[in-house]
Amino acid sequence: MSKQVPETIKKQVKRSFNSKEVKKEKNQKRMTLLKDIQSKAFKRAEKYEKEYLDQEQKLVELKQKALKEGSFYREPEPKLAFIIRIRGIVGVPPKPRKILQLLRLRRIYSGVFIRLNKSSLRMLHFIDPYVTWGYPDVETVRALIYKRGHARVNHQRKIIDSNEMIYDKLQKYDIICMEDLVHEIYTVGKNFKHANSFLWAFKLKPPVGGFSTVKRSFVNKGEHGNREQYINTLVKKMI
Amino acid sequence: MTTQQLRPIVSVFPIKGKVKTIKQVPLPSVFSAPIRPDVVRFVHTNMAKNNRQAHAVSTTAGEQTSATSWGTGRAVARIPRVKGSGTGRSGQAAFGNMCRGGRMYAPKKVWRKWHRKINTNQKRYAVCSAIAATAVTPLVMSRGHRVNKLPELPLVVSDQLQSLTKTRQAVKFLKFIGAYRDVEKVIRTKKTRVGQGKYRNRRHVLRKGPMVVYARNLGIKKAFRNIPGVETASVYTLNLLKLAPGSQMGRFIIWTESAFKLLEDIYGSWEKPSKFKSGFYLPRPVMVNTDVERIIKSDQVQTVLRNRRPRSRKYGKKIQRADPYEDMSVMLKLNPYYKTKLQKQKELEEKNKEERKEIVDKSRKEYEDWLYFSEEEEEEEEEGSDEDREIEVLSDEN
Repeated sequence: MSKQVPETIKKQVKRSFNSKEVKKEKNQKRMTLLKDIQSKAFKRAEKYEKEYLDQEQKLVELKQKALKEGSFYREPEPKLAFIIRIRGIVGVPPKPRKILQLLRLRRIYSGVFIRLNKSSLRMLHFIDPYVTWGYPDVETVRALIYKRGHARVNHQRKIIDSNEMIYDKLQKYDIICMEDLVHEIYTVGKNFKHANSFLWAFKLKPPVGGFSTVKRSFVNKGEHGNREQYINTLVKKMI
Repeated sequence: MTTQQLRPIVSVFPIKGKVKTIKQVPLPSVFSAPIRPDVVRFVHTNMAKNNRQAHAVSTTAGEQTSATSWGTGRAVARIPRVKGSGTGRSGQAAFGNMCRGGRMYAPKKVWRKWHRKINTNQKRYAVCSAIAATAVTPLVMSRGHRVNKLPELPLVVSDQLQSLTKTRQAVKFLKFIGAYRDVEKVIRTKKTRVGQGKYRNRRHVLRKGPMVVYARNLGIKKAFRNIPGVETASVYTLNLLKLAPGSQMGRFIIWTESAFKLLEDIYGSWEKPSKFKSGFYLPRPVMVNTDVERIIKSDQVQTVLRNRRPRSRKYGKKIQRADPYEDMSVMLKLNPYYKTKLQKQKELEEKNKEERKEIVDKSRKEYEDWLYFSEEEEEEEEEGSDEDREIEVLSDEN
């Protein structure tokens, strides 16, 4: 046999995705995309800051107005809840067990966001003894996503270390950066489902200073069940 | 089989003179049949049982006694013992397979199944495989034939071979064509058989030499009959036991031209059935293209595999990342607005502080004013009531 280059090697050399030029071009494209994402992220973050502030002020105004008129302002019911599982996996009856599985609360001190509606409230009713939940504010949502936010990428749990990750998965829902994600979760937007399922369930630490008694409900000087706005202080201890 | 539309050419050689091609014939389709050693082995092992002769042990062997067991209580084993007395045989154990002079365990019967049925198609498959193997030089060599000096394999020779009548002519031909080395091997390795066959009229063992396949016997059979190791066969009745002796494929075969051509008719091809075996087509291989490496490296397969490759390398292995609330660079990567936000918050705080300071200063001033004003009033009041004070002083002194 004469010294011929094997056909397969020739093919490999020809194949475009191995050549340097194509790699360079790809990289350049990626760099421009990243720059674009970051600039958009800056603008959007600015927009959202203003939006949150306006929301707060509006609430205050409406309350004051009602007080002046001598009536009450009834705040809109919360749309978002953050649930933390505070009991272990031993000895859980089948129905609560299944509901906890459905909510991705598979281990103790895991937390998830959930949209509040009639069906989810009923689910929470069944798992009340095993969880504590409440209405997180913006800073809590931010802290959770920034510090403990992991994405579900390729069936793997990967920490969100750049906006590129978010862009790749959630671009089609117009969520391209961390602030977008926070906004979508906090305001329970149209694509809340996708934003939420993009996030892996939060793995929190046991609370600094401990619990009083998990066996009792929060209302009864215990820990489980609905604790409304006090979830924010708890998350700060667990984050 | 698209490869068969262009069939390779085989040279036909003369039986004397010069070893050069006198004619060329296309290779019959049989030689591209799949070579299946497993099929050949199966068919061969069963076919080889078909020329066995029945043998058995005599039905009465070991049973020709009226022995009875002595039963228990006599300090002897309970095996049946020969009756009577006055001879050494009496009292000896009988009947059992463990006894001396007893019948064997499970005496062999004549009605043992000596022969085996094999499906006709399987038989034909095996023969096709075996014929195909005779054209594969490595297989023929590994079988042990001395084929180095042959001009070509498969070796096809002119039809004049069929008209040979003398053994001398046959030997001369074999030497001429280069096949005699195989015959020499046979002669050299003739040995006495190992085992009891040697005194059962099977004294000598010979290797297998070349096999000569002809279409018409015009003397060829007798010419080659006495040459040790050489066998002749008609192309119409090729025997697997001769084509693959010991189920080892790759017999060295010398074909005559007409026999070679007849193979196409006898075994057919994949498109045309055999003319002699009704409804028989050549067996199809399981894989048409056996170059597995080439298949794997082909574009069609590689694109599919490449699309299935895990893509997670884009983000690398487990990423360690600092806490964004502690490391500003990490925070800015995620939220480029953060620094601006902090600045704005600071400015707002400053502004609020100033505003508060203003308000506090204002209210303090108001308080001081009120205080100063009230002091003045007090002073006026105090001037009016001097006498009272003096009286008080006097009273104190008292």
